[in-house]
Amino acid sequence: MKKSLFSLAALVLAGFTANAQEVKYEEYDLDNGMHVILHQDNSAPVVTTSVMYHVGAKDENPERTGFAHFFEHLLFEGTENIPRGDWFKIVSSNGGSNNANTTDDRTYYYEVFPSNQVELGLWMESERLMHPVINQIGVDTQNEVVKEEKRLRVDNSPYGKFFENVKKHMFKKHPYRWTTIGEMEHLDAATLEEFQAFNKKFYVPNNAVLVVAGDIDVPQVKKMIKDYFGPIPRGEEITRNFPKEDPITEQINAKAYDANIQIPAVVAAYRTPSMKDRDAYVLDMLSTYLSSGKSSVLYKKLVDEKKMALQVGAFNNSQEDYGTYILFGLPLGDVKLSDLIKEIDEEIVKVQNELISERDYQKLQNQFENQFVNSNSSISGIANSLARYYMLYGDTDLINSEIEIYRSITREDMQEVAKKYLQPNKRLVLEYLPEEKDNK
Amino acid sequence: MKTKITALLAVLFLSISATAQIDRSVQPKPGPAPTITLEVPGEFQLKNGLKVLVVENHKLPRVSYSLTIDNNPIVEGDKAGVSSMLGAMLGNGTTNISKDEFNDEIDFLGARLSFGSSSAYASGLSKYSERIMELMADAAINPLFTQEEFDKEKTKVLEGLKNSEKSVSAVAGRVGSALAYGKKHPYGEFITEETVNNITLDNVRAFYQKYFNPNNAYLVIVGDVDFKTVEKNVKKYFKNWEKGIDVTTNVIKPNPNVPATQINFVDMPNAVQSNIALTNNVDLKMNDDDYLAAKVANYILGGGGEGYLFLNLREDKGYTYGSYSSIGANKYGASRFEATAEVRNMVTDSSVVEMLKEVNRIKNETITEEALKNAKAKYVGSFIMSLEQPQTIARNALNIKLNNLPADYYKTYLSRINALTVQDIKDAANKYFKPENARVIIVGKGSEVIPNLEKTGLPIKYFDKFANPVEKPVFSKPIPDGVTAKTVVDNYLTAVGGIDKIKAVKTVHMSGDVKIEGVPIPLTAEVKYMMPNKESLEMNAEGMGTLMKQKWNGTTGYMEQQGMKRDMTEDQIAEKKASPALFPETDLDMNNVSLESIVSINGEDNYKVKVVNGDNEIFRYYNTSTNLLTQVESTTEAQGQEIKTVVSYNNYSPVNGVQLPYGQTIVSGPQTISMNFKAIKVNEGVTEADFE
Repeated sequence: MKKSLFSLAALVLAGFTANAQEVKYEEYDLDNGMHVILHQDNSAPVVTTSVMYHVGAKDENPERTGFAHFFEHLLFEGTENIPRGDWFKIVSSNGGSNNANTTDDRTYYYEVFPSNQVELGLWMESERLMHPVINQIGVDTQNEVVKEEKRLRVDNSPYGKFFENVKKHMFKKHPYRWTTIGEMEHLDAATLEEFQAFNKKFYVPNNAVLVVAGDIDVPQVKKMIKDYFGPIPRGEEITRNFPKEDPITEQINAKAYDANIQIPAVVAAYRTPSMKDRDAYVLDMLSTYLSSGKSSVLYKKLVDEKKMALQVGAFNNSQEDYGTYILFGLPLGDVKLSDLIKEIDEEIVKVQNELISERDYQKLQNQFENQFVNSNSSISGIANSLARYYMLYGDTDLINSEIEIYRSITREDMQEVAKKYLQPNKRLVLEYLPEEKDNK
Repeated sequence: MKTKITALLAVLFLSISATAQIDRSVQPKPGPAPTITLEVPGEFQLKNGLKVLVVENHKLPRVSYSLTIDNNPIVEGDKAGVSSMLGAMLGNGTTNISKDEFNDEIDFLGARLSFGSSSAYASGLSKYSERIMELMADAAINPLFTQEEFDKEKTKVLEGLKNSEKSVSAVAGRVGSALAYGKKHPYGEFITEETVNNITLDNVRAFYQKYFNPNNAYLVIVGDVDFKTVEKNVKKYFKNWEKGIDVTTNVIKPNPNVPATQINFVDMPNAVQSNIALTNNVDLKMNDDDYLAAKVANYILGGGGEGYLFLNLREDKGYTYGSYSSIGANKYGASRFEATAEVRNMVTDSSVVEMLKEVNRIKNETITEEALKNAKAKYVGSFIMSLEQPQTIARNALNIKLNNLPADYYKTYLSRINALTVQDIKDAANKYFKPENARVIIVGKGSEVIPNLEKTGLPIKYFDKFANPVEKPVFSKPIPDGVTAKTVVDNYLTAVGGIDKIKAVKTVHMSGDVKIEGVPIPLTAEVKYMMPNKESLEMNAEGMGTLMKQKWNGTTGYMEQQGMKRDMTEDQIAEKKASPALFPETDLDMNNVSLESIVSINGEDNYKVKVVNGDNEIFRYYNTSTNLLTQVESTTEAQGQEIKTVVSYNNYSPVNGVQLPYGQTIVSGPQTISMNFKAIKVNEGVTEADFE
């Protein structure tokens, strides 16, 4: 029943030469500094209009955390030409859908419409940038909504405070140290003028990229873009000068408590370089090697064979300035957290001392190729990738060439990067524990 | 095999030409309606019954296989969890390939493979399409069931249960289905530690034999494949899947809806938000004529960011991150209408009120033509946009088969959406949304939300986390630092007027009206006290003289009712001695007094203080903000029965500088007496003789 491994390997190598799915795009700047990327694909009558702003939680005043995410709510409140409360209605009553999201690095807004509504999408995004209405009533309403969002996603959610605790210990100086959702006290204390100033500083065309992707007529769309976005004045240049972190030289041991869990978790987190750095790609491969799929090293050993863990995982949280490489495990039964870490460490040491097998290496290449094929499967996904590669990586063409970076990574690279970053004295070990009952 | 049908959409307005200068104060008009293509998958069937649908799409070099076995819903009863155990065990090796080799090869191919108890899904690069299909078929037809794997999955299921124990949303989901459908219904039953421990490997094997068969199975293949090759391969790899015995299980009916709106509450002290689900069961099938009307009505009520619920609870009130509704369709007639929100504790009651209001609004008010037009545009847009994914074509074709829909269901879809009228929406809302028969299932922190929920006037039934009915729990809050029984008692004495003022009280004379539940005649009462421990109560009816007397002179006492006189029993005397009616706080032995908790009475927090005297226990409650006594609970034995007596005090007002309650309610056994005093006099008009 089993196919020869050699024939499979040959197939893998053959696959490397073909690149059947190049994403074609065109990019240019408007006079006001706004970057524009167009991707035409007429196979389905759908269009995505999106704008990514280079503003995230890390751009916030440490005394006013949560601002970037707050804007993701505030900028749906209305504009000079779109009355308050009409935004969602306009989108849906024209057959579209829309949303937005915020990270530490950027904020992203998008609409997906049947393709005959492309002008509507452009109008709405240009309205949002040109003259949003930021007033007290909008601030007050969204303040409550954001608090509910935090209760839902963080306070009432099992393991919801896990990430916040990792960040707190990994970053002491850099603004990655606070959460994207921010401190509610900061939002309560913020004045309307502070919100308006934040808008004026960051929501400017020279800090944004507009993507229009899907079933479009390029010359027509270019004219619309010029009409709607052209008149928006350029803003002041934004300079970013974030403090650098001191290296971690001694293992940080910490504990955190969560009232919503019964089973503890243990986390080992390492600070890693920017996602633009080639090493970040190597760490992606390492985390896939360790924990993606049933045959991955940690899953097979701890969940399957030794039955010590309910779940184990590794992920590489890639960000613009630094990354965080996170290993975690949930113990099964009475297994001690320290034993779980010991077992995970053993596997890290192996990766540091030995090359992974040729076969495992080929497996990784196959997995990344599959991921690459799937990453461009929807128009809205392509739009998001184009914006991200341009804005955060400074290289739009990564949408087609990123796979080459993974292909260029060798087994030796993996060994070296594991040695360089995954050292016990450079990490945080966090015990994430169920909160004891405090009802007296 | 493949046909293409091209239809021009006439539903969106034609555009005006865009030569003029833009006017950004006006919302742009749409361009010409796009043309859509509705493809139909290729089909064939194997002799064993497996039906195969193929959608070729060569845009990306990938393929997906999705297997669905259309079994009737299955009751698992005391072995609930056997199906999920099967799902977890499938896809971990076959009788031909060991588990490790199997999992390794799946990962090696960069493929994904997962199984459910009546489904499977695999995907990967199209260059490996044949091998992925072969592995999937082998795993489905020749599964490897080992005791070791079984034990491991079982441990994981048990740990998973433990892990979700404190998750508000997990509990809300479980209790919601169990209450709505009933615990014996396949959609209402749930897994517990007990049922998991009942399952054996043989049960899993038997379940597989009985239900995992090609008879009613559909394999949907989408992607960069060629129909002819796929047909050949499916025949090659799936022909050995043996047909099973046809299993037709009777599907029991779900619980009927409740006769009137009621709150079903589950207490989870760790909750920082209440999970609210207003729900009633519906019998709605996809092939019902009013199916689309029901869906559109639901969309207008709570389908998204422009629904009634969202606009009110989030955009207007800021109670929640989102409030939505849903209505399910089910060919067995078992699905639910649900309006949901997760809201902060403080606004739980208001949210319930607003949710009921919005559901009633869509039933009572006719929606505007504009709202309908907008909703139709949303449905049309979603339909068009869904066509971007080749999976949609497959899903639509499968839906037609699984739900016995007319073959042209999706071809006529847009015209049927456009034909809907405002009356259709109102009719559907009235037929399927039943707030008057709904359960409002709330999972939240009782101590913070129940007092206000009680004020909504809706009856509240309490359940545990496994949907078993329970008595109303005692919701206690942690006692703040520094508060002790002594501080509570001292604060009470201060609030009443201070120890000197209290000591100056020698007698109290209270007179007023009395109501006894079930007694229609107007009554009056005279209550007298003399320090330290004498009591007299006389009740009179106009024109009938004294109906009832109760006397206590500090040593003995009696009760006289309509001429019948009964002396107090020893037990009653002991209880009277232990607890003087007036200001016992001045003379408490603090060694016998303890502060129990903070509990809520009629929406207000009270310190619960226990006073022990011999075998006798009395609970006294003091309001945490006024510090005044609000309630005394005692238990006496009479004729071999325990009778609990609760005396509540309210409407305090000062007399001679001492706060005294003008209102008292006594609930003793089945009897309720309320007294509303008109006059209270201190040190006036009371003599020793009044207590004999």
